[in-house]
Amino acid sequence: MIDLWPRLEPLLADAERPARYLNHEYGCVYKPDADFHFCMVYPDTYELGQANQALRILVNVVNAQDGMAAERAFLPAPALCDTLRAEGLPLFSIESCAPVAQFDVVGITLPHELAATNVLETLDLAGISLHASKRDEGDPFVVAGGPCAYNPEPYAPFFDAFSIGEGEEALPEGLALIKRMRSQGALRADILRALARMPGWYVPSFYRWRSEDEAQDGGSWIEPVEEGLPTVIEKRLFTKFAESPGWEPCIVPFTEVVHDRLNVEILRGCARGCRFCQAGMMYRPVRERSADNVVESVVAGLAATGYDEVSLTSLSSTDHSQIADILTRLNRSCDGKGVRISVPSQRLDAFGVDMAELVAGQKKGGLTFAPEAGTQRLRDVINKNVTEDDLFDALDAAFAAGWRRCKLYFMIGLPTETDDDIKGIASLAQRAYDRMKAATPPDQRGGLRLSVSCALFVPKAQTPFQWDGQITPEEALRRVQLLRRSVKYKAVDVHWHDSATSFVEAVMSRAGREAAAWVEAAWRRGARFDAWSECFNEEAWHTAADEVGIDLEAIAQTSYPSTRVMPWAHVSTGVSERFLARERSRAEAGRTTPDCTFGACSACGVCQALDADNELAQPREASGSNAGGGAVAPARRCEEAPDA
Amino acid sequence: MPDPSLFRLRVTFCKQGRLALLSHLELARALERAVRRARLPFAVSQGFSPHMKIAFGAALPVGVGGTRELFDLQMTRYVSPERALEALQAASVPDLMVKSCEYIDSHALAASAAFPVSAYRALLSCAPAQLAVPEGVMVIRKKKEKVLRVAEFLVGDMELTGATLAFSLESKPTGSLRPDVLLAACCAQANGDEEDRPLALFVENAEPTLIDADACGPDNPLRVITITRIGQRPVR
Repeated sequence: MIDLWPRLEPLLADAERPARYLNHEYGCVYKPDADFHFCMVYPDTYELGQANQALRILVNVVNAQDGMAAERAFLPAPALCDTLRAEGLPLFSIESCAPVAQFDVVGITLPHELAATNVLETLDLAGISLHASKRDEGDPFVVAGGPCAYNPEPYAPFFDAFSIGEGEEALPEGLALIKRMRSQGALRADILRALARMPGWYVPSFYRWRSEDEAQDGGSWIEPVEEGLPTVIEKRLFTKFAESPGWEPCIVPFTEVVHDRLNVEILRGCARGCRFCQAGMMYRPVRERSADNVVESVVAGLAATGYDEVSLTSLSSTDHSQIADILTRLNRSCDGKGVRISVPSQRLDAFGVDMAELVAGQKKGGLTFAPEAGTQRLRDVINKNVTEDDLFDALDAAFAAGWRRCKLYFMIGLPTETDDDIKGIASLAQRAYDRMKAATPPDQRGGLRLSVSCALFVPKAQTPFQWDGQITPEEALRRVQLLRRSVKYKAVDVHWHDSATSFVEAVMSRAGREAAAWVEAAWRRGARFDAWSECFNEEAWHTAADEVGIDLEAIAQTSYPSTRVMPWAHVSTGVSERFLARERSRAEAGRTTPDCTFGACSACGVCQALDADNELAQPREASGSNAGGGAVAPARRCEEAPDA
Repeated sequence: MPDPSLFRLRVTFCKQGRLALLSHLELARALERAVRRARLPFAVSQGFSPHMKIAFGAALPVGVGGTRELFDLQMTRYVSPERALEALQAASVPDLMVKSCEYIDSHALAASAAFPVSAYRALLSCAPAQLAVPEGVMVIRKKKEKVLRVAEFLVGDMELTGATLAFSLESKPTGSLRPDVLLAACCAQANGDEEDRPLALFVENAEPTLIDADACGPDNPLRVITITRIGQRPVR
């Protein structure tokens, strides 16, 4: 492969934060002698991508294969993207500083809905044809994975294949197939044909995209163009997660990245069952690493990296059945070393006095909780399963333990929301502030702050609310103004996340293959780095919609009956469509569904579909408003529960 | 516990190759992590937000390397300098390699204050017949333009030997003149450019193959290949 460094180097003295492009970080792996090269791309800048856990995991698993080397690549900052184009330099990998187009396979993760134009920016800067159909025998295979691969259609023409679900095993299997067939001189089309028959791989070019009527009559939007292809692509599950070590080698970056710390994934999956939450559906079943595994991993990871902070990551870390034990042991082993232990994603009902004390020995930044909705009625609709008292108890514990700032997250525009629910946010926030004040000594009350952060609800594919439309940006603004008027306390700040980006997210989340042309047109009109508010180019997206003739409002805002076949019906998280529909009707009735890791099976279908089970380190004990039944044995093989 | 100020270790290291492009903050973070990886018994500050007791020498600009950079580390107990060096070297990347360790007096001036004079060596792209030093250099401080008088900072002359330039700059309590900024101004003046152009440094060009033995001229403008701090000393 060509080494672009001599041409890149003189450009870096003038680049912002050149440390992003240098390579040579502590812990990076370089395997120049491998005969098969995989480039893992995060379609945004180094600061965001280097922190991504999928990137770390997948680079490690590929490097662990004989004869395979994995390298990283990121999009340079916008100014350097322009400089590279002006200088005729293509996108480069970090380790070899080689053109990305020279790799055998290029993998791009799709972390969120606003990364779509950056996928095209990546391909274009790399000099790879944007359309899979235009790629030749010598071109790399371009594959995707990540959360947005669960609705792959808006990206379908740009990728040769999608890996659906967890990639620990699926990616090396797919790469091994490509490597073997390439070395035998197989044609590109034949390699893709074989890949399309591997579990968890979706090759869109082998499927015709149907018309609306065909799709609704046929129960699927796609039709295989030849025999022997799956009609439903089921996600891959990494079944050895729980027993696999929580520590695996990681790169210690020079420049500060987001989440610049040791990350140890303590559990995967969350079965709380919030009905808006895509992650809660797609990472099932729940798998916990044991306290021994976690503690050993943290100790080994801190020693190997030199980090002074560790984060115990997961979708809901306080749900871990041994979290108190883990924190007690870690506090003991890190005492006096200036190491911070952070627990993101704290659930309200699980943050009691003991938890406040366990993370109390350290610097107290802001505390963040997500009640999501302002009234109990609406929290029941979304199945949040936390109460006001959970919030108040958590605040009592936290502010007595020394915290002074708190942030509450809410969504505006959830299904069935009324003005009373909006006023309920204001009421809840003000009463929360009263509790914070009461728990704080009078001489320290001056610094108390409560911020209320609101974002527009985005209906996500593969969730019970996938059939529910988003409210219009105008209506969202009216509701936010109502909220602002309803908050009377000066110490309570209301922050509103721009709804223009949430609208694009909703379209990307719900659209079918027709949206790909729109993404491409928006990128051609200059849209890129859409997740950066200063770069988001609303006009490009709207003009592009007019150009390609796509009705964005219809895609984002239409509510459908639960019988409608959605454009991702052929991609399965393992959660059954029937479960999603049942959850939606329970939402309408204001009925909640309990978390199966604390009690009875909720019949989501994952365990049967994937031949798996929840794997808990020990039985979980519900706390807060969900306490009561006491500890129950971890749910055994799920039984189909009778329809409610 | 013995007084931790008794075990004050002064460490020298190099900043070279492409890692010359690290900022001071990035460098500090990288070295702190190396100290942790080396498992030295470093002292931790008391209080709300405990931190490693480590103090760095005078900062280098992004793009400028150093052969003998400094940091001071407070330790809680004695580790022989040889063992500390061995552990730090095993935990360091080659272009940010620790070179020596020695204990210093607990009352010695901090590394950042003890050596205000820095000696630099620059490799140039060609050999200029002579190099005039500009009288003033325009810099931007707090969004305001300000002209620094070079004579206030330059210690001795700029010594030109072929395509190699040696000079020393003294940092003042009121501020300092960055070597890269000074050289950009020198190049602009030599080339007759209207404005200073940012330097394009070839930081990793260890064997300066880009150096042209020919004299500079209209078709062969003067550029800077690398800038390296080769020493730091007290004011004489």
